[in-house]
Amino acid sequence: MFDLFYKCFIEADRYNMYLEGLLNTVIIAIGACLLGVIIGVIVTCIRIVPKTNIFVKILDKIAQLYVTIIRGTPVVLQLFISYFVLLVSIKFVADGLIVAIVTFGINSGAYMAEILRGGILAVDSGQMEAGRSLGLTWFQTFSKIILPQALKSAIPTMFNEFITLIKETSVAGYVGIKELTKVQSFVTIQTMEIFMPLIIIAVMYLIIVLGLQYIQKRIERRLTKGDRR
Amino acid sequence: MTDANVKNNENAIVRVRDLHKSFGKVDVLKGIDCDIAKGEKVVIIGPSGSGKSTFLRCLNLLEQPTKGEVWFGENILTPIDPYMHPQIIRLSKVYKNLLKKSKVETPDLSEEVIDGAVIKIIKEDNLLEKEKSGAFKKAIKRLYAEKIMNVNLARQKVGMVFQHFNLFNNLTVMENLTLAPVKLKLKTKAEAEERARTLLKRIGLEEKANVYPSTLSGGQKQRIAIVRSLAMDPDVMLFDEPTSALDPEMVGEVLELMKDLASDGMTMVVVTHEMGFAKEVASRVIFVDEGKIKEEADPKEFFNNPKDERLKEFLSKVL
Ligand SMILES: Nc1ncnc2c1ncn2[C@@H]1O[C@H](COP(=O)(O)OP(=O)(O)OP(=O)(O)O)[C@@H](O)[C@H]1O
Ligand SMILES: [Mg+2]
Repeated sequence: MFDLFYKCFIEADRYNMYLEGLLNTVIIAIGACLLGVIIGVIVTCIRIVPKTNIFVKILDKIAQLYVTIIRGTPVVLQLFISYFVLLVSIKFVADGLIVAIVTFGINSGAYMAEILRGGILAVDSGQMEAGRSLGLTWFQTFSKIILPQALKSAIPTMFNEFITLIKETSVAGYVGIKELTKVQSFVTIQTMEIFMPLIIIAVMYLIIVLGLQYIQKRIERRLTKGDRR
Repeated sequence: MTDANVKNNENAIVRVRDLHKSFGKVDVLKGIDCDIAKGEKVVIIGPSGSGKSTFLRCLNLLEQPTKGEVWFGENILTPIDPYMHPQIIRLSKVYKNLLKKSKVETPDLSEEVIDGAVIKIIKEDNLLEKEKSGAFKKAIKRLYAEKIMNVNLARQKVGMVFQHFNLFNNLTVMENLTLAPVKLKLKTKAEAEERARTLLKRIGLEEKANVYPSTLSGGQKQRIAIVRSLAMDPDVMLFDEPTSALDPEMVGEVLELMKDLASDGMTMVVVTHEMGFAKEVASRVIFVDEGKIKEEADPKEFFNNPKDERLKEFLSKVL
């Protein structure tokens, strides 16, 4: 057992391969998460501002379409499409990592948008009415009253989305990106072992996810503590 | 209603003209006319679903009226409703054509009578919908440009108290009271806090300045919501069933504060089911039913001598 572990992890400094894969996975997940939050915020803004003119209405339709398409198709498919069709056809020889970050970013943007919007819609409409009837503008009320309350409920869920993202990036290996899951194939080629590298990788994911979940719990506790201050 | 008519009521803070509001196909308000004078305490009663809240919310444009006008002092908050302005109607082609025809058909009537009749017909048959006359449109635009008031500015002067308090949950009591005056640059932070402390002292809750609303009782929440409005130094305050969501033992403290405001001379419009409050405080009671004002009178007359059948029935149930 230990021999097997030694062979697959330590012999010939193979742990470097795992660490490189892990690093790529983390880079993709963090990059995609940041991009996702940015896209999510923009999409949410478009979807919730009062629809006062046709321009906003059209943007809203586009945003809706984006969310529908992204959430209605598998992420692997989105990855294939952006990798093979979009990037190859326009002869943009991009770094695989960037392709993955952009694809997962666009993907998680749709989920982030839905989480944020859900958080905003969950805030009692009386809060906006109270702000408006004091003479505050829609934007003043939104930024001072609605958004802080929405974030309080949305941030733990958004963090959850990040955890999901870490695991989801494992499909990036399908398009040749050296992320953590893909490491198995390299190790297998060198050692002819399949099972042990898979277990090692699984344990690595598990440790990361458990760590993140611990952080999430603490964030959640801090956010709700504000209620009773 | 002539423009002169709109202006002549010098003391009116709020003037409502032929106010209509529908939600989709449902007509909730079907033509309400109402003036609220400075210092008046108007109590509105009526059965559930009759449109009392909708009426109140139209006064500060939380709901956009479908038709009619809402005036705040000398300024208008809604678009101009041409039917309310005879001098504008007279510029329309419809008016001119009808006037010519009527003069030929009834030559023996005086000009004044014909004018009145034509305007009445135009109003009743909504004949201005397709009016294209340039002078007519220009007159509407000009009057609007002259009278329009930014809704946000108006709302600073129209306080609103809600059934469910609607205190800002993410802010402390102090922040609830100071947010709007400071954000809107009406007061410095120090001035606003000074005022807030005075107001909190007035309702005996100064020790609650730094707590969050979730820790307060219903009665405390509503009293703080009331002083949050007061912190804007409003000209008029609207109350939408301010005690309906409260446990019975907390109703008293809120009504006391409202009576206190009333005796300070605050102009108030109150939707409530508290008939005792209406009898004691109101200068005028209005019965709203099926989207219309069915009866309005001073409280003595209103309660002792109701005329409308629906009001009699309503009073027999609630008294
Ligand atoms: N935003 C809305 N959309 C659709 N219908 C509405 C809306 N607001 C109110 N209504 C309808 O308008 C009617 C009048 O409502 P309103 O709240 O003004 O009545 P009310 O007199 O205040 O009643 P209550 O005593 O129950 O508060 C009701 O039938 C209600 O369903
Ligand atoms: Mg109501």
